[in-house]
Amino acid sequence: MDLLKPHHFYILLALADGDRHGLAIARDVQTQSDGRVRLWPATLYGSLDELHGRGWIEEISDPGESERKRCYRLTRQGRGVLADEAERLGRLARVARARVRARTGGA
Amino acid sequence: MSRAYRFVLRLAPRELRESHGREMEEMFADALAASRRRGIAAVCATWCAAVGDVLTARRRARLHPLDTYRKGTTMGTDIRYAARALRRQRGATLLVAAMLTLGIAANVAVFALINGLFLRPFPFPAPDRLVYINTAAPKWNLDVVGINYPDFDKWRKGQRLFDAIALYDGAMFNLAEGGTPERVRGAVITYDFPRVLGIEPILGRTFTPDEDRPNAPHVVLLSSALWKSRFGGDRNVLGRTLRMDGIPYTIIGVMPPEAAFPNEALVWVPMAGDPNQKYESYSGDGIGRLEPGVTVAAADADLKRAHQPVWDAGDKEHIVTPFVRPLRDTFVHDYRAAVWTIGGAVAVLLLIACANVAAIMLARALARRHEIGIRLALGSSRLRLMRQLFLENVMLAAIGGVLGVVAGRWMLALLLSLLPDQFPRWAVFTVDTRVILFSVALVGLTTVLFGWAPALHAVRGDLRSAVNETTRGTTDSPRARRTLSLLVGAEFALAAMLLVCGALLLKAFDRLQHVDPGFRPEHVLTAVVPLSEGTRPKPEQWTAFWTEFESRLAAAPGVDAEGLITCLPLAGCHTGNFFEAEGAAPKPDGKDPVVLWREASSGYAAAVGLRLREGRFLESTDARPHAQPVVVVNETFVRTFWGAGAKGVGRRIRYRGADHAWMTVVGVTADVKHYGLERPVRPGVYLPLANDPRSALMVAIHSTGEPALVASSLRAVVRAIDPEIPLYRVRTMDEWMRLSLAPRQALAWMLAVFAALALLLAIGGAYGVSTYLVSQRTREIGIRVALGARTRDVFRGVVTRGLAVVSAGVACGLLASIPLGSAMGDVLFGVSPRDPAVLASVAAILLATAMVANGVPARRAARIDPMRALRTE
Repeated sequence: MDLLKPHHFYILLALADGDRHGLAIARDVQTQSDGRVRLWPATLYGSLDELHGRGWIEEISDPGESERKRCYRLTRQGRGVLADEAERLGRLARVARARVRARTGGA
Repeated sequence: MSRAYRFVLRLAPRELRESHGREMEEMFADALAASRRRGIAAVCATWCAAVGDVLTARRRARLHPLDTYRKGTTMGTDIRYAARALRRQRGATLLVAAMLTLGIAANVAVFALINGLFLRPFPFPAPDRLVYINTAAPKWNLDVVGINYPDFDKWRKGQRLFDAIALYDGAMFNLAEGGTPERVRGAVITYDFPRVLGIEPILGRTFTPDEDRPNAPHVVLLSSALWKSRFGGDRNVLGRTLRMDGIPYTIIGVMPPEAAFPNEALVWVPMAGDPNQKYESYSGDGIGRLEPGVTVAAADADLKRAHQPVWDAGDKEHIVTPFVRPLRDTFVHDYRAAVWTIGGAVAVLLLIACANVAAIMLARALARRHEIGIRLALGSSRLRLMRQLFLENVMLAAIGGVLGVVAGRWMLALLLSLLPDQFPRWAVFTVDTRVILFSVALVGLTTVLFGWAPALHAVRGDLRSAVNETTRGTTDSPRARRTLSLLVGAEFALAAMLLVCGALLLKAFDRLQHVDPGFRPEHVLTAVVPLSEGTRPKPEQWTAFWTEFESRLAAAPGVDAEGLITCLPLAGCHTGNFFEAEGAAPKPDGKDPVVLWREASSGYAAAVGLRLREGRFLESTDARPHAQPVVVVNETFVRTFWGAGAKGVGRRIRYRGADHAWMTVVGVTADVKHYGLERPVRPGVYLPLANDPRSALMVAIHSTGEPALVASSLRAVVRAIDPEIPLYRVRTMDEWMRLSLAPRQALAWMLAVFAALALLLAIGGAYGVSTYLVSQRTREIGIRVALGARTRDVFRGVVTRGLAVVSAGVACGLLASIPLGSAMGDVLFGVSPRDPAVLASVAAILLATAMVANGVPARRAARIDPMRALRTE
């Protein structure tokens, strides 16, 4: 399977914290990436449509907001994808840390 | 802002836009608001990012078209086909576009000139109701006499069909407040002048009827230009005084810029005419505003009716007759012939370009006959094919049109910079809506002009032969070939006409340059010296000034000779008068000739090198009190009054009317071309200056020194006597001469340039068609050579065929140019439109170039290797 695209990962990450609408997702992504990932409207909604098409997120209507603002929720499948990705990144991070430390230690 | 983003969103994939558009807008608004706090750079970056974002989404959607289905209309398909066809033959497309651009640009530029001069409305309310008023004296051979104020007063009271009528006259004023003295252009106007034009002052008020009376207090209106330059746009300028000609004027208002019409006046003062003035003085022009719905003819009749009392009172013979004509006619009259000549030239240029493009497109369409035949066979409709070919033409014309308008603006700027001061100051030349509409119409017209041939020929004709023509390189349909020849012939005919007209004009210009002006224009510096009547109110003071001026000037370094005159030749001035000659037979038609009247100082003849035919020029003793009254006349005067071959010296003349004294002719000078080298000479007189003091005169200085040095000694002389007197129109006589020739020179060279461009296009056309025909006959020529035709025969065959077409075209063009040249009439300055040298050289040029244009492809044909020609096919 293809690697998860970074902005897809961030969107899933944002939704893992709770249901959000588009703008809130974009803001959370910006915070989580230390401002390095910024989702512009067409990219964000294009990604949301794509994730929705894969069944990783679903649309719900937000009781607090007006009708036209759609909220998104992580599906069980989506949560699984996120968990797998987190696991993969964690492994990578461990390897990376070990290698960096080995080099600096040997020097 | 959100509207702009919505526009950006239209670039986004449709599904995305439809399902999320509003949220996307909101999100963008949020980002934009955040960026605004960080300055303009951040806002720009946000916009760029947003556009980039949408474009990326669009590309992504195209790369992964999940369920998008493009619905292509047939029109869209045809447009894409046409664009592809044009792109495939890039060279030909570029060539065609360049030719169209050239043709359209020339037309756009010239149309912008025509538009500015003849079509753009004057910048006043209801400009179509404005008319020009003046008087004519047909019995005295005068088209425009000027207006006598008491007559005007009667018109103003008696007219019924005008909203208002007003008089204006040009005037010059010396402004000498602080700094260097300045001569400014102004106008004297009757109080209703602003009402006629329909303009309001931007500050203060205009003249009241009471201020427009004799002996009224001095008041002045400023132009906005003078207000800004002299008073820094100060709004407290009202009530202050402006010293002009040494007289204080109270400033009462500031006029808007459009009030400068028609003389670019900087100040206005009331005319203050006296309705009961005893003498007649005809000067100035009238302007009127018609009541709505009144025609110019009706207004003309109304004015003549109002003039009836004047005729009844003193002018029983109806010598002076008022007339009314459309305002514009008066001011653009001089340009009409020149502008239409150039307009005709560029129209012909465009026609040639179209013929060329038609030929190229036809050749291209013929080359595609096979393809088109197959498409027809497969069931494509002829209409559809024609539409596609037509679309190609429209696209080409549109490219040519857009580039043409852009290039046309450059060409216009170039034309205007090459012709400075040639156009009236009120005329505005821009590419406005009318010019754009004209260009669009032009593009439509060119499409039809060059599109008909290819569209018809390609689709016509029978299907089977087109498909059967499996072997390319055979001769194509004779009908198409005839059309190609016709186009080339027509190009050469048109080019011949343009070349003949251009050559005739150049020849006329050359002839004009060699006309004897009647004096020596070299090494003569001239200037106008105006005295301020405020500081020197008495005529004796003027005489004293001129005496001192002349004596100082004659002693100035570098001055060989100097003289004063009321009106220099070629300077555009004229004072007419009527004389009686003793012993002259009365004119058979009862029309007295207008005599050019001048007063000169004794040094004038030497200063400009006047040539004496008889007797002597004026001498300073002639002006002494109780001296015998004398006059110097020109040859035309002697011929007109006493007949050819008569002697002038010793005869007597006087101003018309028995109460004037006789003056003895003491000298006869050669005719001076006073009104321009191409204008007829009037009878003329020179009278001693000192008898009739003047407050402004023109000075002529002969000096072999540098004109700039002479000018500075002249300035020093004037400054030494009175530092408040300005000098203006400081020019050499050569410059006056050049200025008088400039319009004709410009016309001749413009026509010559357009003719050269036409020639270039025609050569290109002939070369292209000949090359195409040879390429189509490769196989045939190969067979001929194989059967024993010699190289020379092949070469001659091709060239003969090309030259036959061109010769026919040139012959037609030369024949057509003769009536065209006759229509140019006076412009040709006596050069015959049948001038054999011009006709022969044009024919020679065209045939020689056609020889080259056909010779190159003919050489190529002659070198065809029969084996290869037959094998490759």
